Amino acid sequence: MGQTIAEKIFSRACGRPVKEGDIIYPEPDLVTTHDWYVVNFDKVLQELGIERLHAPHKLLISTDHEPVATSPLAAQRQRQVREIVRKYGIEHFYDVGRGGHGHVFPMEKGFVRPGMLVIAYDIHVTNYGALGCMGIPVVTEISEVLACGNVWLKVPHTVRINLVGQLGPGITIRDVAQKMISLIDVDAADYAAFEIGGPGLASVDFSGRQVLCNTPIEIGAKTAFIEPDQQTLDYLQTRTSEPIELIKSDPDARFHTVIEIDLGLVEPQVAVPPTPDKVVGVSQLVGKKIDHAFLGSCAAPGISDLAMAARILKGKKIHESVRFFVTPSTYEVMSEATVLGYIQILVDAGASITAPGCGVCAGGKIGTMADGEVSINTGTRNDFGRLGAMNSEIYLASAATVAASALVGAITDPRPYLID
Amino acid sequence: MMNLTMRGRCWKFGDNVGIDGDMMPLEFALKRETNPAVLGPYLMTGIDPDFPKKVKPGDIIVGGKRFAQGNPHIQGLIGISAHGLGLVVESIQRGSYRNAINAGVPFLPNCQGVSAQVETGDEIEVNFATGVLINHTRGTQFQYQPLAASQLEIITAGGWRAQLEARVTAMRVNDLRPSPP
Repeated sequence: MGQTIAEKIFSRACGRPVKEGDIIYPEPDLVTTHDWYVVNFDKVLQELGIERLHAPHKLLISTDHEPVATSPLAAQRQRQVREIVRKYGIEHFYDVGRGGHGHVFPMEKGFVRPGMLVIAYDIHVTNYGALGCMGIPVVTEISEVLACGNVWLKVPHTVRINLVGQLGPGITIRDVAQKMISLIDVDAADYAAFEIGGPGLASVDFSGRQVLCNTPIEIGAKTAFIEPDQQTLDYLQTRTSEPIELIKSDPDARFHTVIEIDLGLVEPQVAVPPTPDKVVGVSQLVGKKIDHAFLGSCAAPGISDLAMAARILKGKKIHESVRFFVTPSTYEVMSEATVLGYIQILVDAGASITAPGCGVCAGGKIGTMADGEVSINTGTRNDFGRLGAMNSEIYLASAATVAASALVGAITDPRPYLID
Repeated sequence: MMNLTMRGRCWKFGDNVGIDGDMMPLEFALKRETNPAVLGPYLMTGIDPDFPKKVKPGDIIVGGKRFAQGNPHIQGLIGISAHGLGLVVESIQRGSYRNAINAGVPFLPNCQGVSAQVETGDEIEVNFATGVLINHTRGTQFQYQPLAASQLEIITAGGWRAQLEARVTAMRVNDLRPSPP
């Protein structure tokens, strides 16, 4: 029996062949955590009497959840994080103003390659799947990985997604990704590895690949990654000198489920509160008034998301009753968007540009919502209270739908603004 | 070491039992409360307000499909271990599967059709190491897939934290720590 990509990566990380269902202790190639869990893991390590990390050179820490401290408490925590980084000798520390979103910039900087295993605190590490890397989230047990080098994992079954067709005019990969998770049986998705390939993949850009790997987590997947291809090689060419292998599942590998997803969807998709898989066509919501809009997060991570918003808002002003926050995911993306003129367009339209990182999506520390307000945004989740008041409402959509809605002041189908 | 065989009364709960609300009030998750003594008195009170007063150590909760579904908060699973209960389910979402192990709850995760074979009040016996379930009230016996030995070790150690302490101690004793760079 052949192996899936997930089985191959875990086999290498265990130094022996493993198969679906095995309980294993694999050695990760990289471990990541963010500014909101450093003090916590340090406390556990102190209680255990651990003074030295198992592999400090493999740990990458990003200040992305609250880069711009919003309280004296947050500033104090940032100081503690810097002290902890020094104490353990962690060289890969990307503080405020350095990398940006920890699920994105490590790919830009060559930390992430096809076939790698990354274990992380934070579920959306699956963005690394955009380069064919397997990002596996664990939560509190990251302390065990840091102290001992690994933690138990189960080799997941694989849900194979075959992309076919082409995006219709004004439709984005975010629309496809939201539709995809609404179509898949949650029992099949639970603890699955999503392996994404098929003839449609070649037309999906780097940002879109991240989005496809980001959303399956919301329905219980363990990880998600694309089958790396020529575009992966092209992206990494200038970013790493390490050898790159285009890992693939064997022809006789066993997939639990194979699903074909047509990129040629009929209309943009919007997730209604309170879960990202409660998805409807935008036409069912057109005209719903909004107070708040946000473009950013690891689910809208790329330059193409900002390009779409700039195209819609060029020479226009957003609606007077809407506040619109835009968070470029990384400093590289922000710099590129500046050079290309997108930042100028968005600022002129009345958007507030914030420091790279998670932006509003990290619990609404910035750009919080008040009682009864309605937001449309590109964040990852729409639980009640995620961005502030418990009775505020969050609708999730593509950068295009968010920008068009900010312009009109109500949920809007972006296609008329994108079709020449 | 914990005995991996339990014998007691069956408490059956059906499909789609939620972590938040059904198994444990959400407020404890938001407060990150992990003290078993605090959580025990609220176990399953979203479904049966008297449940914590009725159960005894050794009793076994039988859940249907997607037991402990929702945002994977550990509090409901800690509530189960607070009472010394076992758990048998038709299926359990991955976050709760991990949390059950981390909370030190002996459980069988994949018992298709078990809900049809037991009723609340039946006297049942489960060997969590072998996967054998005996219904003494009905004189029936079933074989399910048990957890892996390494997972049972975490449960018998008393959960994730206790196991991690033991692992760190063993690492020191055996000098398995990597040499400094």
